[in-house]
Order: sequence, then structure tokens, then C-alpha cells
Amino acid sequence: MPETRPPAIRQIVIVGGGSAGWMTAAALSSLLPADQVGISLVESEQIGTIGVGEATIPDIINFNALLGIPETDFLKATNGTFKLGIRFLNWGGLGEDYIHPFGQHGVDMNGIDFHQFWLRYKADHPGSTIEEFSLSAVAAKSGKFTMPDANPRSVLSQLRYAYHFDATAYAAYLRNYAEQRGVQRIEGRVTEVHQDAQTGNITAIDLDNGQSVAGDLFFDCTGFHGLLIEKTLGVPFRDWSHWLPCDTAQAVACERGDAILPYTVSTAKTAGWQWRIPTQHRTGNGHIYASHLLSDDEAIDSLLKDLDGDVIGSPRKIRFRTGHRAKFWEKNCVAVGLSGGFLEPLESTSLFLIQEGISKFIALFPAADMPSVVRDEYNRQLVKKFEQVRDFIILHYKATTRDDSPFWNYTRTMDIPDSLTDRIELFREAGRVFRYEDELFSKPSWVAVMMGQNIVPKSIDPIVRTVDPAGITRSLQSMKSAMTSAVSNMQTHRAFLETYAWSGKDAERGAGGER
Amino acid sequence: MGASTGKPRPIVVSGGGLAGNLAAISLANSLGQGFEIIQIMEPGAPPEDLVYGHAADPEIYNFLRRAGLGEPALILATGTSFSYGTEYRHWPGSGGWMQCHHAPFPTIAGIPLRHHITRAGLALEPFLISAQAARAGRFAHPPSDPDNDLSGAEYGYQFDPAEWTAQLDQLVAGSRVRRITSPIVEVAIEDGLVSAIQLENGQTVTADLFIDANGPSRRIIEAAGGRFRTERTIRAGLSVRETQQPGPPCLTIEADAAGWTSKAHLQTAERMIRVGADDAGAEAPSAVSIALGELSEAWVGNCVAIGHAASVIEPLTPAPMIMLRRDIERLLELVPASAGMTVERREFNRRFLEDVEHIRIFHDALFLSVSAPEEPYWQAAAASTENAKLQRKISQFGNRGILTSYDLEPFNEEDWTIAHMGLGRRPEHYDRQIDGLAAAESDQALARMKQSIRQLVSKMPPHNVYLNRFKQYLRRQNHA
Repeated sequence: MPETRPPAIRQIVIVGGGSAGWMTAAALSSLLPADQVGISLVESEQIGTIGVGEATIPDIINFNALLGIPETDFLKATNGTFKLGIRFLNWGGLGEDYIHPFGQHGVDMNGIDFHQFWLRYKADHPGSTIEEFSLSAVAAKSGKFTMPDANPRSVLSQLRYAYHFDATAYAAYLRNYAEQRGVQRIEGRVTEVHQDAQTGNITAIDLDNGQSVAGDLFFDCTGFHGLLIEKTLGVPFRDWSHWLPCDTAQAVACERGDAILPYTVSTAKTAGWQWRIPTQHRTGNGHIYASHLLSDDEAIDSLLKDLDGDVIGSPRKIRFRTGHRAKFWEKNCVAVGLSGGFLEPLESTSLFLIQEGISKFIALFPAADMPSVVRDEYNRQLVKKFEQVRDFIILHYKATTRDDSPFWNYTRTMDIPDSLTDRIELFREAGRVFRYEDELFSKPSWVAVMMGQNIVPKSIDPIVRTVDPAGITRSLQSMKSAMTSAVSNMQTHRAFLETYAWSGKDAERGAGGER
Repeated sequence: MGASTGKPRPIVVSGGGLAGNLAAISLANSLGQGFEIIQIMEPGAPPEDLVYGHAADPEIYNFLRRAGLGEPALILATGTSFSYGTEYRHWPGSGGWMQCHHAPFPTIAGIPLRHHITRAGLALEPFLISAQAARAGRFAHPPSDPDNDLSGAEYGYQFDPAEWTAQLDQLVAGSRVRRITSPIVEVAIEDGLVSAIQLENGQTVTADLFIDANGPSRRIIEAAGGRFRTERTIRAGLSVRETQQPGPPCLTIEADAAGWTSKAHLQTAERMIRVGADDAGAEAPSAVSIALGELSEAWVGNCVAIGHAASVIEPLTPAPMIMLRRDIERLLELVPASAGMTVERREFNRRFLEDVEHIRIFHDALFLSVSAPEEPYWQAAAASTENAKLQRKISQFGNRGILTSYDLEPFNEEDWTIAHMGLGRRPEHYDRQIDGLAAAESDQALARMKQSIRQLVSKMPPHNVYLNRFKQYLRRQNHA
């Protein structure tokens, strides 16, 4: 078929380093032949990066695999540790504690979700919690880790994991990777952006060193500045702070104890929450809060009071805005990372959202004319992803009985998106969870958080009532004992890391928080 | 929440046709003794319901099996035959194509098949095992080995709804469903809910939940306040011809100026449906006028409409049967746990309307390339094809072969790719992903694929031969 081919993209310019910039550079350089498409990345050492989200979700494994990065290399280079889930303290109510583990709970039987059987079991075993049936949760609580088994018959096949790591080190690692594949790094600050008078497309950027960098396509990885997408192209921002009122973080590192926990901890506080992220050499901490309800000094005091080791350096303040660009891709500019949108890292989705921004772009890789149909589809898919993650995060704030501060009184009673209301009500009615087709968070994730935060179904699905309760009890108890014995045979997380991918670096002093 | 110990909660299924029987048996199988299933039927055989058409998609296999109706029973006890899909002939704007069922398409060097085909300027059909087998009139069950090309050949059935209804009738009769045969005299409504159904035999039947499977009479759902929206009307007639042996393992739909005619090739009969404009006059003696459309809400109060009581879809694809299956699946997932049903009702209606929309855009897509139609049938069919989702699908595919999909669509990406290409839509540009792979390399891979499919098809037995052998095999199994 004769084809009138629009010219191909020849030169890609990524503005901004950090996680978003170097992840983009690494992914593009691994896929595009260097002799056909030039890639340059402009960054300035004077501009600090916000190393977003060192806690991740299992999708990061796919990203590294796409790049062909060996896991042990990566863990050593980034002081990485394993993560089996997130432990939430004080969220549903003060003194409450649950784990949102990776992977599923138990085993679905006869096409019926496991949690339905568990609800039936719980009727006769009121003390039971659903996390007793998640291998990732049981291992996490015991501080243990091992690799999942690919054999689906093995109980270890149910284990899922992600990582904690030093995001700045990850960016440096990816920089090395990208530069080896022909990405040209240009040091400099952007002083001016040139646009085509007719199309409005960005044609080139001028740097403070006098250099001018031209390109067919620009990635805006300039973080909250939004240098291209906002300052140049004027794409508006959709603000979600009425649902997610936190707007400030204070981050600091501290010494860690001997054990290394294989999970992230998120502790709900008076006007926000605090993270604890263990890496090989230290522990990252941060307090995220709503600045109109808590002063910076109060936030810092609260942060420092709850460290479980000696503080390293002093807290660093980060302001942010929750929401996303009305368009992630406008003209010949794609915003990846914080310039495109931000959702607080309560479910460790920051790097994932960057990853989605890159992979959806690659799937739609355009010719140089960048037709609007391609951009529209990209924007539609990214907005949908952001909204799905948003709903899941809002759930944590809404499903609470806390009434000990104006912050919780607000989130507990606020209006939430209809999509989320419907989901909560369906679960409350008979424990039903419907996952939308390409949704990030799986049914077990929704179940873990809803159960963990006291959204208890009024009754069980009528379909489970056909199953003999004694049979359910037998099945569940055998699952539980298989898990307990599998976990008792595992090494501690630290022992596993030491033999698998120990970086051998001592705690580095002086650097600020992990973000 | 305790174990259910009280009196069983009654659910009434009203209607004795395909929808009623399928719903009754599925509810009885899925729900425990905590529910009593009561089916209310009119005396005598249910009227012929030609709007189900004669095509069932591959997913019906598991659904019927769970209902207790396995493939052996379908093949031995009814005239059901296999179907790789539907061949459209003389379709306006395209000519024709084989709309076959297919497992996810293979990739070459990790890049989807359609991009290779677009770059090479080739047709899709030679690369689809089920299309090639259907055209050759051959059939064999797909093997489980995913490396075998034949494993991509998914199949559904060509069937007579009345025969399936009769099979299900026996299953229901042998189940715990309590059946009452008596015409409905009155549907009593209290506070917007159906409180009881009065029967001619004097019985009053009460329940928590009522399923209206009464077809277009909508006897209960309309009493409960359900409103049917008519999109357009068609005229359709059925004719049946006895045959010695079955034709090809696919349906054919032949278009002409006044409408279209579908032909299903069952084991010993050809069943034809003629569809034309409503005012075109009867062409077959049995032709009737049919209002296509759907309820604005399929679940109103404590009454759920399924099958043709809920939506009437032109039998142009397996969609009518897909919709009935989905109606029942949705119901099973949402059987209310308590008397307040607001939550379940809202979710049911949301998904019902999405299914309706997603089926409609697939059908509408078939009429988009009908240019400037003058004949009344085509004019009416092509009149209302404005839909944002459809526009997006067409423009995304037309630009670069991108498949846009929405949540849980009844027609999957393969169905859409086949329809787009069958209707002559070609992406303007091929996807840049493929630039990394030399054209010669992908051409070679395509040639190998085509050759291996051709060889495989030549070794498959004709549909009738396969059916006979399969039946012999099943009978031996039954004796053993």
C-alpha cells in the first residue's frame, strides 16, 4: 500500500533530570535506534531534584525488566530493599493497624473471590483478620523475605514484592544507562523557550551558557515548575486539593536499627501522615500535612518525635499541589512526572505514574506531525489512570472513624467522587468488589483497605451461602498453616539482602530526607 | 452477619422461554437453600422468538456448562452446529468479510499483527485460522497447546433458540426450581415495589425479587415503572429449510438494497432470518414488526428485566445472545443481600447501559460506511450512528491502527480489528514501533504464518464430517 509518510521524529529533548527525566531518557534510549533518533537531556546542577517516591509498587519490576537491568545491580546501586506491602497505623481509627499487602489474599475458589469465603469464616472466627491469609502480609509482619516461586502450586507463588530505594541514586544509575546508549546530557539552565509562530510548537530552548537546543519533541520533566507545559504552553491544572487537602511535606533521614523492615509504614497523624521507608543504609521519613491546619514547626516537631533512629541532617520542606494537567501532552510537549500531575505517595504510586506516562507514550509513539488523535488518546488514558489512583487514595481518608482533629472531621465528612461512593456502598452491602478492566489496584487491594478501615460488609454474598461452612474452615485453616510454615522457613529480610544484593555502603550523613 | 438460618427468601422468575429457563436454572445452581426459586410460566410452548438470532459467541460454552448444559448435550440432543463467526456478503461500502471469532492475535517481534499487515499493505483474513477454516467449510476443536495455530480458532455455535429452551426446560424440571404454570392476571404494586403476582389459578405469589423474562410484553417491569425506549423498528421473518447435512461452520449474512438475510447452518436445517424496513411489507409469511431498543433502567424497584424484556437488539451479530448471558451474569453477581436494593440496582443499571452502548456502537460501526443510502432500511440504520466512543474508535484506528477500548466491552479487540479491516478501514499510517524491524523480516514472518495456516486448514475435516465423528465419539462415551 503506498503510504504518504509524515516525517519521523529525529530529535527528542528532555528538559529536567531527576527520576522523571532519567526514567524517560533510559526507556526511550533502550527502544529507539540511536542512529535514527537523537535524545538529549538538559539539566542543571543548580536546580535540586525532588527524588520522588522511593517506595514503589510491583510494576517497577516491569520497568527495570524492559530496560534489561539486573535486579542485584540495581539494588546495590540504589541501596534498595524489598517491600511486601504498606502497614497503615491509626488510619481507620486511633490505635488501629493493618497491612495492605502486595498479591492476593488466599485463593479464589470456584470463581468466587477469596474474601467472600473469609467473611463467612469470620462469622464463626470473630478474631480472624484477612491478612492472616496473605503470604506477603504474614512474611512482612515477621520481617522475612524470599523470592516468589514461579511454580503456581507452591504457596510461595503468591508472594509479590516491590522495592524501597534511594531515588537520587536510581536517577544516577539510569543516567549512566542512558548515556551509554547515546543520550547526550547537557548542563545548563533554560533561559528562553522558542515557539513556532504558526503552530505554537516548541522549536528550541536557549540555555544560560549560550547554547541553543532544538528538537521535534520535548518532554517537560521540570517538576512542579512546569516550565514548558505551564509557563510556555499555558496548560491549566486541575486541582484536587478539596479531596486531598495535604499540600506540604517535611522529609528527613534517620539511622536505622539492625533489622530492615520489608514494608513501608504510613502513620496517620493529626493533620496528615508520616512515612517510614527503610533502605539499606538508612531510613527515609517524611511528614505530609495540610499547611492550613498545621504549622511547619509543629509538623517538624511531630516528624522528629516519631523517628526510630538518630536524625541525619535537617528536614527539607516540599510544597506540592495535588491534581493534574488538563492535558499531559500539548502540541509537541509531553509532561512526565510532577509537571504533569501529583498524587501524594500514600500508595507509593509516584514512580508508577511516571512509568505510565512513558509507556503510554511509547505505545502511541508518533511521527513528527503528532496528530491530535494520538495526543487525545494519550491524554484520555493518563487522566483515567490519575483518577483511578486518586479514588483509591481518597478512600484512606474517607473511611475513618477519627474525629480527633479538624483535618479528620473534614475528610471523614467530605463529598467524594461518585465512582468511589458506589464502590464503597457495594462493598458495604455484601462485600462485592468490581474492578474496572485495566485498573491498577486489584480487588485484594480494595478489600485490604476497606476491611482495614472498617468498611465491613453487612452480609456475605448470597452465592457463598451454598458452600458448607465446615469445608470453608478446613480450606482456610490449611491455607493458613501452609503460609505459616512457608514463612517460618524464610530468612529474615536483612539476611536475605546481605547474601543477595548488599551494597556495603555505610550510612551517608548530611543528605536530607529521601524525597 | 450470621449463617442464613431463617426461611428461604423467594425469587420469582416470570417467563418460560430461553431467558426465563436460563435465569431459573442459573439462580438455582448458584444460590443456596437460603433462596427459593419460583418460575411462573404461561401454559403451552413459548412463542417463537426470532430476535435471539441463531448465533452464539465463544463465551456461551462455559456459561451453558455452568447451567448444566454441556456441549455433548447440545450436539447430540439438538441441531446445534459449530460457528467460527459470520460471513458478511455484499455489505454496502465494503463488499464482504468474515467476522470470525479469534483468540488474541499473535505478535511478530513483540509488535501486534495489524501493524505488520498495515505496513505490508496486506489483507488480514489470510492470517486468521478461524476465517480460513470457515471459508473452507472445515472445523476441528482448538487444541490446548498454545503453539498450535489452531488454538487461536475460537468458536461459538449456530443454534435454534427453541431447541435450547427445550433442553433447559428438562434441566429446570429436574432441579429444585418450583414451577407454576398459569397465566398472570395482575401484578400488584405497593410503594413502587412489586408486592405480589396474581395468577389465573387463584394463587398469589409473593417474593423479595422478581425477574421479568417475559420478552417484549414486559409484563412485570412495566407495571413496576420500567420504560422501554424504541430506537427504530424493523420487520423480520423466519424461514426454515430441511437439509441432509450441515453447511459451513459459520453464519452468512447477505445484504441487498432492502435489508439483509442471515442463514444459519444447523445439523439438519438451514434457518433464515429476513430483515428489512418496517414499512417494506411482509416478505416471509411469518414476518413481524420488531421494536429495537432498551429499557432506560433494567432494574426498577425489586424487579429486574432480562433478555428481550430489557433490550431488543437486531440479530446481526451474536449480540442478542451475548446480552442475555450478560443480563444473567450481572444478576448473579448482584443478587441483593437484603431487602434494600439501591446499591445493587444502581450498579446493575450502570453496567446494563454500558453493555447496551457497547453493543450498539459495534452495530453502528457496521453501518457507518453505508454512504448516502436511499433505501429505507439502510437509511434508518445509518441514521443514528453518532457516538463519542465510536468516533474515537474509528479515528484512532483510522489514524494509526490504535485500538481504543472501554471497560468490559462485549466485543473484544480482535472483533473490532476484524470489523474495521473488513469494512475497509485502513490506518493512514502504520505504527512507528515497527520501524525497528526490517520490512523483509516481517514479510517473511507473515508469509510463514500464512503458509502454515493454509496447510493446517487443508488437514482439517469438513464441518459435517467432523460433526458426525464427534457425535459418534460422544455416543461411545455415553455408553462406556
